[in-house]
Amino acid sequence: MNPLRIRWILFAGIAAAALAAGLYFGRQGVTAPSDPAAAAALAGLALPDPQGKEQRLDQWRGKVVVVNFWATWCAPCREEMPEFMKAQTEHGPKGLQFVGIAVDQADKVSQFADEIGLNYPTLVGGFGAMELSKSLGNSLMALPFTVVLDRKGAVAHTQLGILKPDKLDSIVKQLL
Amino acid sequence: MAAEPELLPAEQAFRFSARALDDRTLEARFTVADGYYLYRDKLKFAVEPEAAGVATPPLPPGKVKDDAFFGQVETFRGEVVAKLPLAKGTPGQSLVLVADSQGCADIGVCYPVNRQKVTVVLPAAGKGPGPVVEAHPRKKSWFK
Repeated sequence: MNPLRIRWILFAGIAAAALAAGLYFGRQGVTAPSDPAAAAALAGLALPDPQGKEQRLDQWRGKVVVVNFWATWCAPCREEMPEFMKAQTEHGPKGLQFVGIAVDQADKVSQFADEIGLNYPTLVGGFGAMELSKSLGNSLMALPFTVVLDRKGAVAHTQLGILKPDKLDSIVKQLL
Repeated sequence: MAAEPELLPAEQAFRFSARALDDRTLEARFTVADGYYLYRDKLKFAVEPEAAGVATPPLPPGKVKDDAFFGQVETFRGEVVAKLPLAKGTPGQSLVLVADSQGCADIGVCYPVNRQKVTVVLPAAGKGPGPVVEAHPRKKSWFK
């Protein structure tokens, strides 16, 4: 077979695989299954809070932890946070802990948290936090993205887009 | 895990393309998919090499949207076209136009700032516009 022909076959093979992948992921929609190693990376994550003090996510180990990736520039993120605050108040005593990871600047995060009287901690992550959310299933790296971890730190649910109160409630109640 | 909305990757939701209108002017275009919008004040353009110096003239007005936190913000839907004058351009010169954009889907998801690049060649004086170059050509174009 001449080299040109081989190259063509190779190209066609790669193109078909890429197209198949495109169709597959296109149809799959949004969240890919999260990688168990990513859950471990999340548990061991340390990020600064808006005051610049480093916080480790494993300080909440043993609780049901809802990690919410958000940003002040993301309107739907801001929209769902008051519901998270209510859930924190209601289920906090039973072992539920919300933790925000803002893909944003510390001063903006701090200002917004004060404005709404945020009642759970939020950390400040950069693009690295976005990459981590990708490995947890946020293949489009969009916001809001929420990961619910059970008491052992395993991923129980991931959600791209607003996590509606009734859905959140039913997920959390099973885990508490 | 529950069914979730189907969403496009940022570069497909906000398709960026450009062409050189002449040796001194670039035309940048965003084609925003239905159900998505871009924030007007987050659109930024730059060229490489920097010496060519692209200016971003006032963009067309967007549609005003009330945002609880930011107040009134302007957004773009459909097509957004901006003519960008160059400070210095040479016919035949190859330039990279870099566009930063940020937008959301109506379904309730936002994308972080997305950077897209296209390489355009400046046409010779009096030769008219160069071809449209897409940052992320559609897959079907492979089979043309």
